[in-house]
Amino acid sequence: MRVVFLIILVAFQLSCFSQNRQLLYNFTSIPQSLVVNPGADVSYKYYFGIPLLSGITANLGSSSFSAYDLFADNGVDFNDKVRKIINKSSGKDKTQVNQQLEIFSGGFRVGGENSNSYISFGAYQEFDFLMYIPKDPGILALDGNQNYIGKAFNLEDLSLRAEVLSVFHIGFHKKMSKKLVLGGRAKIYSSGANATSTKNSGFIYTGQTAGSPNIYNQVISSNLELKTSGISRFTKDEYDGNIAKDIANNTFFDGSLGLGFDAGITYYFKENLQFTASIIDVGFINQTKDIETLTYKGYYKYEGVNPDFVDTDNPDNVFDEFEEAIPRDTLYNKYTTWRPIKFYSSLQYSFGESRFGEDCNCKGSVNRKYRNSVGGQLFIMSMPKEPFVAVTAFYQRSIFEKLDVKATYTFDAYSNTNIGLGLSANIGKFNIYALFDNVLEYKDVSKANSLAFQFGFNFIFPESSD
Amino acid sequence: MELNAISRISKILIAASLFFSCSSDLDFDQVNDLKLEPVLVGNLAYFDLPANKIIDNGEGQIAFDVDGFDVLKNKFFNERLKKAEFNFEIENTINRAFSVAILLLDNNEQILDTSTFQIPAYTGGTNIIKYPPEVFENQRLELLKQATKIGFIVRIASGPPLDENSLGNLKLRSSATVYLEIQ
Repeated sequence: MRVVFLIILVAFQLSCFSQNRQLLYNFTSIPQSLVVNPGADVSYKYYFGIPLLSGITANLGSSSFSAYDLFADNGVDFNDKVRKIINKSSGKDKTQVNQQLEIFSGGFRVGGENSNSYISFGAYQEFDFLMYIPKDPGILALDGNQNYIGKAFNLEDLSLRAEVLSVFHIGFHKKMSKKLVLGGRAKIYSSGANATSTKNSGFIYTGQTAGSPNIYNQVISSNLELKTSGISRFTKDEYDGNIAKDIANNTFFDGSLGLGFDAGITYYFKENLQFTASIIDVGFINQTKDIETLTYKGYYKYEGVNPDFVDTDNPDNVFDEFEEAIPRDTLYNKYTTWRPIKFYSSLQYSFGESRFGEDCNCKGSVNRKYRNSVGGQLFIMSMPKEPFVAVTAFYQRSIFEKLDVKATYTFDAYSNTNIGLGLSANIGKFNIYALFDNVLEYKDVSKANSLAFQFGFNFIFPESSD
Repeated sequence: MELNAISRISKILIAASLFFSCSSDLDFDQVNDLKLEPVLVGNLAYFDLPANKIIDNGEGQIAFDVDGFDVLKNKFFNERLKKAEFNFEIENTINRAFSVAILLLDNNEQILDTSTFQIPAYTGGTNIIKYPPEVFENQRLELLKQATKIGFIVRIASGPPLDENSLGNLKLRSSATVYLEIQ
């Protein structure tokens, strides 16, 4: 089993996804929509996902460049491409990868025939990577400071976080009334590897002041910190294991542990006017396994050599001075990381009553089913610099009773032409779904600034089947 | 039976998504071509020698000092240094002419390189000279890379005597421009 985990982990580590799952959100014919809103109006007698195939997502986003910009086989010098990307990026541009793989999932109704309470549970593995474009350090590395006299190179631009974790979760949702569905989910996180360097500050400055004894005023003020958990042993010379295998093992069996919760609500103002909201991953991980923190903190003013012609002096050594002023320290303190919090909300208007299954409305339910829905969604996610916000308009339609499609149009930092298409089909009790984000970009994926896809297979035993 | 159907459907889905997507040719090996060529400028050395501190005993040499110069002991810099230029600037407001020699020395205090700069006596007005850069390339660069110490010798030319009431200063400012190549 570990080998299977390993292969899948490695395969999907290479693929990529922004974490907004606008297609899945409130797509209630897919039970996995409970993952993005535990209070979604989903009902079933019971369901289970096909292990390892019930939910596979990958999402990549890069706000200032695409793979094509960097790796196109077009004869342009690679260094020129890098320079071009650095120049057109700002310190707020970012590259993001998110991948999730559902290992198992399932759910059941509790409390008998007329109950409206449901349990859902599962486990998934997640990989998360976020890096801001290190614009200022990038310029310094590419060009040096010669043409940037008077500029303070901002070290805050160095900002990244990465994590591999597994999540075990159990959720509960209940239809409180015809108008209200409430739900919550508890999560246990197990983090196999974490690297966090998001609170850096400082600058590297070279300036000139007339009348000063030196040609330049040169100052390095550094407050850099990289915290790692589950990684440091791979950097040691004596390590001779298999990194991917060891990270997979740590992720599932020996990770740093954390807790979190999700909460969600669905509310019907009218039968055909629905509001939903959810907050996902309010939680923390206590990083305790194989921890190592590297810091470079200090202030150094570089003066150059100043000979003392009067006294015999100890010759100064620039590097020794520098290392004393801004020492490299290694600490072994436990630390806490917060999961990126996601907030979703939607408002949906439905119209066009469905005629499917009209003749079997035998339970006397007054819930009508509508053929069409339109609405808007909002997505906000916490990030080190400023929150990521996306706004989505959607249209959802039941083509047949067993086939639902959803189309979305999303604006966010990566793209303002993001059209997504999703479908969910039931063949007997077998449910299959596929969601493709940014479909326009599939004509040349290498030029895409963001891509996301998700698909999966479930068995659903609906309530009406009894 | 059911599993067969699943595998068939998944194959179709994956194949379909591949059909719909295309990709331009990408060449990830280009990463190996990455070559950073930053040009860094920094202070090299400076001093300010007031006339009233100069003891002119007629030998010519009035000041001497050797300091550490360990920047190039750093392996990272040493291996990646492709070229260096030292820029010197001397301001003399003393009514005597001077020459300043900058020596690069190795660990055993053997002289590897000498640059000498002349500055005439102050006669009023401005008396600042910016000297052409000392360029270190090829063989001279190799000598620079062995340097661990930097020496300063100031010599004075004959002229009116100096005492504790003499006015003026001899000021040196200098910078280094280093060309790195990081691959």
